[in-house]
Amino acid sequence: MSGVLLYKSELCGLIHFLVADQTVIAPVPLTHGQFKFAAVTTLEEIALDAIPTLLPPKKYFLPPQESLLQYDTTQGEKMQAEVAIEETVLFGLHTCDLAGIQCLDMVFADRPKDLHYMIRKQHFTLIGLECNDYCDSSANCAMLFNHLPKGGYDLFLTDLGDYYFVDINTHKGDLLVEKSGLFVPVTPAAQDNLQKLRQIKTKRFKSEIPIRYQDIKPLFEASFESNVWTDIGAKCLACGNCTNACPTCYCFDIVDEPEFDLTRGKRLRIWDSCQHENFARIAGGENFRKERGDRQRHRYNRKFHYPMERYKQIFCTGCGRCSRTCMARIDLKETFNALIEECR
Amino acid sequence: MSRPTVAFFELASCEGCQLQVANLGEELLAILDRIDLVEFRELLTERPDGPLDIAFVEGSVVNAECEARLHAIRQRSELLIAYGSCATIGGVNAMANGRPISEIQAEVYGDQAERFAAARVRPLHQLVPVDYFIHGCPIYPDELIKVLKAALAHLPYNIPDYAVCVECLLNENVCMYEKKVTCLGPVTRAGCNAWCINNGNVCYGCRGLVSNPNRAGAEAVLSRYHLDSRLIANKMLMYNGALEPTDE
Repeated sequence: MSGVLLYKSELCGLIHFLVADQTVIAPVPLTHGQFKFAAVTTLEEIALDAIPTLLPPKKYFLPPQESLLQYDTTQGEKMQAEVAIEETVLFGLHTCDLAGIQCLDMVFADRPKDLHYMIRKQHFTLIGLECNDYCDSSANCAMLFNHLPKGGYDLFLTDLGDYYFVDINTHKGDLLVEKSGLFVPVTPAAQDNLQKLRQIKTKRFKSEIPIRYQDIKPLFEASFESNVWTDIGAKCLACGNCTNACPTCYCFDIVDEPEFDLTRGKRLRIWDSCQHENFARIAGGENFRKERGDRQRHRYNRKFHYPMERYKQIFCTGCGRCSRTCMARIDLKETFNALIEECR
Repeated sequence: MSRPTVAFFELASCEGCQLQVANLGEELLAILDRIDLVEFRELLTERPDGPLDIAFVEGSVVNAECEARLHAIRQRSELLIAYGSCATIGGVNAMANGRPISEIQAEVYGDQAERFAAARVRPLHQLVPVDYFIHGCPIYPDELIKVLKAALAHLPYNIPDYAVCVECLLNENVCMYEKKVTCLGPVTRAGCNAWCINNGNVCYGCRGLVSNPNRAGAEAVLSRYHLDSRLIANKMLMYNGALEPTDE
C-alpha cells in the first residue's frame, strides 16, 4: 500500500485521537529497565524506547484466562459461547512482536479454526514501531529477518528524526490516517531517509548465530539425542517462564468453573506450559516428557523444527524474552552455539 | 438439594485462616446459602457433636491432645479438608522440628516445661487421610472457594504443581532477583496468584515445595546471585520444617 508521514509533534494528537473511542495499549515502563503492555490515555505514559515487554502482546489475543462459554445443566446441556471483546489499539509493536502475532494467526486460523481468537482479533488495530537498533544482547531477530517489517500491522511507524515514516498496510490503517487528519504526504526526502536507515540497519543487525535459516531445522533434527538437552535440563527449574513469555507459545488447558449452585458455570481456557512437570502426564501416571531436558528440547523443537514442517515457518521471533526471563540463564543463543558446536 | 453440614476446626494455629474465611465478604453469603455451617469458633458459639459432611481443619498436630482431636474429627466427617500451611505442611509451628523438643520446651516454658506436653510438629496428612488441601499462610480466598466447590461437587481439586514464578510473571512483576532480593517463588508451588509479590513482598514458601524441585539448579541460581544456599534452606524451613521424604 502507500505511505504517509507523521510529524513527532502530532504523535500526542494521534494518541488523543485513538483514546477517544477505544482502549489504547502500549508499552509502559516498570522498574529495573523492564516494560509491560498496559492501557494508556496519554503519550507521556508510553515508553517509545521499550525493550520487549515482560509478557508479549499475545496476552490480549489469547488472555491467560478467558471464558469460552457459559453452561447451565438445568437446561439439559445448554451452552452459550462467549467472547469478551472491546475495540483496542495496540501501539508500539516491534517487528518481533508483529511476527509473533502472525504466527498465532496462522495457528488459530488452522483447522479446527479457533473462533474465539479469530473474532477477538478482528477488533484490534495494530500499530507497529520499527527498532532502529538492537534492544539488547538477548535479541536474535536478525537471524530470522524479524528486525525488518514483514506485514501483520495496520500502520507501521519508522522514526526518521523529526517525523515517522508511516507504512499503511490495511484498509483499517488507511481509514485511521484519513479520519485523524494528522498525517501528511510522503516527500522524496523522507523516502530517501527511510532507505538510508534500512541500509544502516543491515550493518547494525547481523545474524546473531552462525547458521543459515535453511540449516536451522536440520540442526534440530540432527541433535535430538544431544547431550546439550541433558545439560540444559540440569539447569532448568521448570518454572515455565520461557513459554509464558514467548510470543508464539499458545498451549492451553480447559477447566470448568462452577457457580456455587454447581449447575451453572463457565468453561475457562487458561495458559499451560510444556515445561511443567504434569504437562505430559497422562492417565495411569505415565509421563512421556518426565525429564526437564526432554521438556526443554520439546520447546526448542516447537520453535525451530515442528512448525517448519507444518507451516514452513520458524516460530521464534527473535525477541529474546525466553533468555531474558530465565533465572537459570538458559540462553537461546548459547543453546544454538552448543548444538552447532556438537554437530560440527 | 439438601445443604451439607460443614464445620471449621482449629488445632495449633493462629486461627488466621478462619479469619480469612470470615473476611470473605459477599462470597460468604453465597457459601452460607449452600452449606449448613454448624461449628466455627471465630463466628459461632455452638459446639454440636453430630456427623459432618465436610470438616475444615486448620493448624498442625503438636501434641497428643491435637492428635486425639484430629482422629475424632476424621471419624465424624465424610470429607476432611486441611486448610492453611500449619495443617497442610506443618507451617511455622514446624520450625520447632529443627531442635530437640526438651530444649524448646525449656526455653518457652522454663521450669513449668513438664506441664506442657509437646511432640514433633506434623501436618494432618501424616496422621489421617486428607481429602483436599488448601495451602497458604494464610489461605488464598479464591482457592478456598475453588476447593469448596470441588468438595461440594465431589470432584478432585488439582493444586498447581508449578512454581509461583508462573503466576508472578502473569502479573508482570519485575523479578525479585532482578531487584537483588531473595525470593522462594522459584521452588514454591503456585496457586496464590503470587499474592505476596504482587504486593511488594517476597515469597516465603508458605505453600510448600513444588514436586520434584530442581535442587541443584536452584543452588546454581542462588550462587549466581551470590546467595548462600544455607540462607535459603533456613528461609525454606520457616514453613517446611515438617516435610517428610514421602511428602514430595
